[in-house]
Amino acid sequence: MLNEILQTIPQVVIDGLTLGAVYAVIALGYTMVYGILELINFAHGEIFMSGAFIGTAILIVLTGMGWVSAVPAIVMLITVLLLTAILTGLLGMGIERVAYRPLRNAPRLIPLITAIGISFLLQDIVRFIAELQKGNYIVTGPNLFKDQLSIKASSISSIFNDASIKTSFVIVLVTAVIMMIGLDLFINRTKWGMAMRAVAQDRETASLMTVNVNKVISITFFIGSALGGATGVLFAVQYGTIDPYIGFILGLKAFTAAVLGGIGNIRGAMLGGLLLGLLEMFASANLTLLSGGVFGAEYKDVFAFAILIIVLLFKPEGLLGKPVTEKV
Amino acid sequence: MKSLWKKYKQNKLVQGILLLIYISITSLSLFMAQKSVTAFLLLLSSLLLLYFTNFKNLTKWLIAGIVLVFLLPFTASNGDAYQSYMEVATLVGIYISMALGLNIVVGMAGLLDLGFIAFFAVGAYTYGIFATVQASNFMPFGTFPLSGESFWLFILIGCFVAALFGILLGIPVLRVKGDYLAIVTLGFGEIIRIIFNNLDRPVNITNGAMGIPSVTPPRLFGIDFLYPSQFYYIVLVILLFTIFTVRRFEHSKIGRSWKAVRENEIAAQAMGVPLVRTKLMAFAIGASFSGMMGVVFAAKQAFVDPTSFTLLESITILVMVILGGMGSVPGVILGAAVMTILNLQVLTEVTSWLNQLNSTGAFSIPDALSPSKMQRLIFGLLLILFALYRPKGLLPAKNHVYNEKELQEGSAKENKGKQEVMPDHSQIEKAQEV
Amino acid sequence: MSILEVQNLTKKFGGITANQDVSMTVEKNSITAVIGPNGAGKTTYFNMITGVYQPTSGTILLNNEKLNGLKPHEVSKKGIARTFQNIRLFSEMSVLENVLVGMHTHIKAGLIGILFNLPAIRKEEKASEVKAYQLLEYVGLAPLLNEKACNLSYGAQRRLEIARALAAKPTVLLLDEPAAGMNPKETNELTQLIKKMRQEYNLTIILIEHDMKLVMEISEHIVVLDHGEKIAEGKPEHIRNNPKVIEAYLGSGAVQAG
Repeated sequence: MLNEILQTIPQVVIDGLTLGAVYAVIALGYTMVYGILELINFAHGEIFMSGAFIGTAILIVLTGMGWVSAVPAIVMLITVLLLTAILTGLLGMGIERVAYRPLRNAPRLIPLITAIGISFLLQDIVRFIAELQKGNYIVTGPNLFKDQLSIKASSISSIFNDASIKTSFVIVLVTAVIMMIGLDLFINRTKWGMAMRAVAQDRETASLMTVNVNKVISITFFIGSALGGATGVLFAVQYGTIDPYIGFILGLKAFTAAVLGGIGNIRGAMLGGLLLGLLEMFASANLTLLSGGVFGAEYKDVFAFAILIIVLLFKPEGLLGKPVTEKV
Repeated sequence: MKSLWKKYKQNKLVQGILLLIYISITSLSLFMAQKSVTAFLLLLSSLLLLYFTNFKNLTKWLIAGIVLVFLLPFTASNGDAYQSYMEVATLVGIYISMALGLNIVVGMAGLLDLGFIAFFAVGAYTYGIFATVQASNFMPFGTFPLSGESFWLFILIGCFVAALFGILLGIPVLRVKGDYLAIVTLGFGEIIRIIFNNLDRPVNITNGAMGIPSVTPPRLFGIDFLYPSQFYYIVLVILLFTIFTVRRFEHSKIGRSWKAVRENEIAAQAMGVPLVRTKLMAFAIGASFSGMMGVVFAAKQAFVDPTSFTLLESITILVMVILGGMGSVPGVILGAAVMTILNLQVLTEVTSWLNQLNSTGAFSIPDALSPSKMQRLIFGLLLILFALYRPKGLLPAKNHVYNEKELQEGSAKENKGKQEVMPDHSQIEKAQEV
Repeated sequence: MSILEVQNLTKKFGGITANQDVSMTVEKNSITAVIGPNGAGKTTYFNMITGVYQPTSGTILLNNEKLNGLKPHEVSKKGIARTFQNIRLFSEMSVLENVLVGMHTHIKAGLIGILFNLPAIRKEEKASEVKAYQLLEYVGLAPLLNEKACNLSYGAQRRLEIARALAAKPTVLLLDEPAAGMNPKETNELTQLIKKMRQEYNLTIILIEHDMKLVMEISEHIVVLDHGEKIAEGKPEHIRNNPKVIEAYLGSGAVQAG
């Protein structure tokens, strides 16, 4: 059995890292907003989904104009990523302005409820735009990177099987890593990053120190959503087919990743994302084998939720977070 | 105008006459019309009118009873659409029960549960599995399907199994705080659905995504319950039980401790309220209502499959609670009724009306925008608008109003009794007991 | 006779020591004040006694019974009730309901009894309502019984917290800054109320307070904390002239100057 598991490891690692990178970047959005507002931005998964659709729409339009074949795919991708990031960033800012800001002093339950509302609203709006335009809400975008690569893992050691990857995998991973490094630099090296950290620490004191709290919160939402939307594009590029409901489960898992790493902690979110991606891919590849056929890959979602619940129960502060005690 | 309204509010007789006229007109028009959703809905809304009268509670219940038990089924029975009306009324009852259950958890105890439909699923599968041949796949003894008479017992079993699930899920879940609770319950709801969806192997328990067909209908005194008009009465009885139970709990030690935990956990604990026990009780009782209705639902549909228990359903029930008013029993009843009718009647009616317009060419609307598909949009909008502008819902929760005079007298009586019996020294001892 | 015996209580949060070896013996039916500058660890001390925090080390004995490891609601059952520095009422509930929650442990109604609305339960409920009302009369809030707790004035909220705590029928009552934010008139009324309560309910009272006039007037015993440690203890007149206490409050220069 061990041999069989080992054989699949290269493929599991590659798929796990791809998925994990997607989780990680979305988890960043959750973690940033939570760090600053202590709010679970339920709609973040839907922003990711909107990003996937916006990106695909731009690609389709550009293909129609004949641009895609004219410019190198990588230039195309960067253009689409930037455009989508700006649009979803604005979307996120708008959501904060309309649905969260008026409720900042309301009971904790209320903003959660608007968040769910926004989430449903976005799903449906995207659905009927897609349906109006394409006649079907399941959309397949143009394929930017068609090449398949094969990694000869068997040449390293005969235990492993060869793994195959799409070129897009490399693109997804590299872009995700660049986004994460960029964010890390932004948070730790810039004036606005410092203001964000200050607001996260103590909103009132920060405002006394002439930090414009509302602006900082808007920027947080912009960046988180821009990253989420850009990841949506990466997802669409990597997996091809998208529908308006991909944001929900994926968002939930990204949230799991954020919790796993320690919510409010940027590096924790990255770690949590990659870890969850690897664990999930491992589970979906080997669950059948490990349980003697009782559980199959269809339980991989259960597996992710189980991780969430276990972490929350036994280590609610996550891997890299700090424990908090309520002041009485 | 204002003074007229004031007079109306004070005058029971006028209220009674107007209500009577209203009920007569609507029921008559329902009786005469072959198919009039409007008349049906207007007759139902007489109950709302009744709620706003100044009658004594008992009178209100009596009138409501007459309308629901006799008038509504009778006047509706004349038209072709009888069964479809009763279907709607039955579903309204089922959803009200569930919303009342969720209201205990969210509204009273303040625990946001996004996987509430799981308990409904548990109830439905409990009956579904044992009232079909499905159970013989894993039960070492007994012959299945069980007879229709067992249905009545299963209402109780569904109630207990769901409560048990509530406790089992609650034990780990309730250690989690605030916002996380929402996510974890959501996760649990999905886990349960996924499990039901895949439990066709290694042992076929739920028949997986195929669902369980031909569930045995309930049977009483040799009569099989097959039609919505029959299930209507089952649901009505359970619903009444639910409402009474909720009312009882609300104004008791238990209801108060739920609200205390919602308002301030630390203070509640300091006053002797055991946190975990109180929350578990809210979970279990809320779940038990859903479990009972799950059994009824399985029997009514004669079919159970995982697609009836999605997150959308959980959110639908949440919308009912928010719309009506968190913690408010009359509000939640109204919210559930409005949402169910909106979902089942208004949206489908508007859709078919639009389709008609489409076919006559008077007006054209793309299929993507058909209202029956817009549930998510409508629910989402409702959640946002209510959270922003009316967070307490249509009929906000009210605290029980205690009769000051009665308490004053009670207090005076007790003080007097004490002074007569007790000499001054032991008054300290006595006061300690107060 | 001592009723509450606190021995070497220590609480550490990570690297920070909030309380270090704080002991205290409280006589039955006495009024004890715990004073000290802000951040001296007074509330943490209360939180350990009431079970909100578990002490890192040390023991708490109520009538020679160990309270360590008990949950807050169990401590409350043993007979310790408290109020909070930052008022913690059940703000959406009515004034009378707040007091009724305080009676939680003394109302026997169970699930079945409530469900079937048994006569005994109804009677108990009615009796509790009357008792709660009497407590409201006692603190002067009776006319506001149906008002939402959050609509009360600040002083009234503090008194409601006291009524709610009394409803739990405590033997020891902990008041955390009961006079905070009150004007002199209200403080004066509060002083009288505390004295009266002690008398009529046979209570042992421990309070944290910054109003020295109130502290000196009513307490028989004072414990002074600074930086989490006990720096002095004794009768009010001793504490008043203790150089260490003056130093803690006014800084080291004050002693020489005074």
